[in-house]
Amino acid sequence: MVVKRKRDTSVVSRSKKAEESSPPPADNAQDIFRKYFEAQFEPIEAAPVKASEVSESEEDDEDYNSEDLDGESDSEEGWDGLSEEEEDDDEPKVEVVEHKDASADGDELMQKQARKAFLNGTPSLDVLAKSTSKPNSEKDKEEDAADADNLKHDLALQRLLKESHLLDSADDLAPTGKNRLKALDLRMQELGAKTSLYKQKMPDAHRRGINAKAASKDEKRRREAKENGIVLERPSKVSKSNNGHRERGVGGSSIGKFSGGTLNLSKQDLFSMKSTPSRSGRGGRGGRSGRGGRGGRGGKGSRGGR
Amino acid sequence: MATQQPPLRFTSHHNLLHRLVLSTLTGRTVHISQIRASSPTNPGLAPHEISFLRLIEAVTNGSQMEISYTGTILVYKPGLITGSSTTSGASGTGNSASGGFIRQELPSNCTRGLSYYLIPLCLLAPFAKAPMKVLFTGPGVITSSTPTGDMSVDSVRTAILPLFNQFGMFNNVELRILRRSNPGPNGRGGGGEVQFVFGHQIRLPKTLHLMNPGRIKRIRGVAYSVGVSGSNNARMIETARGILNPMSPDTYIFSDVASAPLLPAPDKNNPNAKKKIGLGFGLSLVAESSTGCLFSADVASPPSGGEPPEDIGKKCAFQLLETVSKGGCVAPAAASTMLTLMTMGSEDVGRLQIGRDVIADPNIIQLARDLAKFGAPGWGIRDAAGENENGDVIVSVVGRGIGNVGRKVA
Repeated sequence: MVVKRKRDTSVVSRSKKAEESSPPPADNAQDIFRKYFEAQFEPIEAAPVKASEVSESEEDDEDYNSEDLDGESDSEEGWDGLSEEEEDDDEPKVEVVEHKDASADGDELMQKQARKAFLNGTPSLDVLAKSTSKPNSEKDKEEDAADADNLKHDLALQRLLKESHLLDSADDLAPTGKNRLKALDLRMQELGAKTSLYKQKMPDAHRRGINAKAASKDEKRRREAKENGIVLERPSKVSKSNNGHRERGVGGSSIGKFSGGTLNLSKQDLFSMKSTPSRSGRGGRGGRSGRGGRGGRGGKGSRGGR
Repeated sequence: MATQQPPLRFTSHHNLLHRLVLSTLTGRTVHISQIRASSPTNPGLAPHEISFLRLIEAVTNGSQMEISYTGTILVYKPGLITGSSTTSGASGTGNSASGGFIRQELPSNCTRGLSYYLIPLCLLAPFAKAPMKVLFTGPGVITSSTPTGDMSVDSVRTAILPLFNQFGMFNNVELRILRRSNPGPNGRGGGGEVQFVFGHQIRLPKTLHLMNPGRIKRIRGVAYSVGVSGSNNARMIETARGILNPMSPDTYIFSDVASAPLLPAPDKNNPNAKKKIGLGFGLSLVAESSTGCLFSADVASPPSGGEPPEDIGKKCAFQLLETVSKGGCVAPAAASTMLTLMTMGSEDVGRLQIGRDVIADPNIIQLARDLAKFGAPGWGIRDAAGENENGDVIVSVVGRGIGNVGRKVA
């Protein structure tokens, strides 16, 4: 199959030009058809001027010569130049029709893979699905890079969303100073740090002092607001910190509250008693396990049976 | 069970293989008489039928066969289908297990294509005790389609084996063509080599309800040329595509060029002499519909030669179109396989839409009669519902629910 891809464009344009200048007998028949068509429907608007322009520009541009590598085409180019001059003579031109097999134009690699997939022993017709799913190596690299980029952006966005309350001036995504430390603290906690960076170990007297100071500050703020008739938010309820530790003396009950010579059971206590067998089988006070010493006064933690 | 019941009596060599398969699957003894009794020159069992008996002997355990002197009477008492677990190897010539494969040699006077053996073997394989692994080799293996009407091994792989998927068998099913061969001179012999692996054994095939033929989605094919120029492939493909492409744009035909197989042909001067055999070319086409129905066509060059590849390509394309035009969900070549598997299924009614021409085939009618004789309930046949321009019928087949005897024991 001799490939003459550069020629056919110019050849087509030539035929168009010839059409313009003096219609050959073949055009008469076309004219008849055209008239008939126009009688039936709307007239066809022809744009021959534009076509000629295109052909001119195509012929002018010379750089396609450099694309042709085979020597055969070089001689053809020279010939092209000659025929360009003769163009005005309305000489009948040879139209080059290239017939290309549709099966031959697929890329060879895919064909090979498909062939391999089809001609192996398995009874299946799915060859193209498999072959197309195999990515090209270059493409793979590009996709990997894009994936990494996307992941980076994703992470930045997540962090921004989580730490946005730290950013007073939301102009920089990488916080500095105090904000940076706070953000760092948040991230560490997210990753599983046990305690915050800001939870420091200090003497109890200091902590009490800090708490007392904070409480007095708040109290002062509220008092002043009240005096000035400003409605403030409700004070956050400070829960009684019993931390789940039950207060009992020696020989106290493991459940309920013993006061005034009576054991008072709350609803929760009742519920926990009822659900004990199913939930915490062999937890409780050691009982069956025979290690009574351990189960003992564990409070909530040991009763949970976890 | 088989010992108590009297043998089922059949006559003539028609459907012999299928009767043997049914006998093996149901465990009934068969007595087949008048095998080519009227032929003065070649009475009795033909070489390819004997080869099949050898194959059955290799893949089963405990089968007994008795052949009369003239070969016109065969009594077959089936055993268990064991697959390739037999380490002892089969007796007789050329059968031995090696590497888990049962090695089956076909004699050089074989005129049938390998699909003649493969399709019945495919029916036995699902009910075997162990995975069925058979290596076909020897001077009689013809992988292409033959003038005797057998399809090519490629078509078995692409048009018959995928059907087992619909019955729930899909794992480890392989059919590898190690060496290709067309029929040799006068259509006798070849030199091919084919590996058949069927590793998905089941108790009972699934009940099948296939009543929507769909529309042809894609066409695949293999053009093969053995020992002749590969340009024959290109010419066949070109012509076939010229016909098929306007109808189905998703058409791919692959080309496989193989050298001719060499067979030892010792003579007086040179005991190591070899000769080429099985030259030729051919085309196998498979069309798949949107619902997974498969239609295949096969044409190969005749052993006498003299047919241009363009004609082969054209014939094959037209044959494919004819097969598709017969309608239904199953091609004529696969109908008996499908119906037999449905009969072997669980005790439930399976339905299958079949073209009128396909079921009117004498072989299918004979199959129905044979099945009835083996104790299977009759088929229910009614016209297909919906827009049914081809006049397709729906065949209702009740399974026997016996299934895999070897599997039950294991």
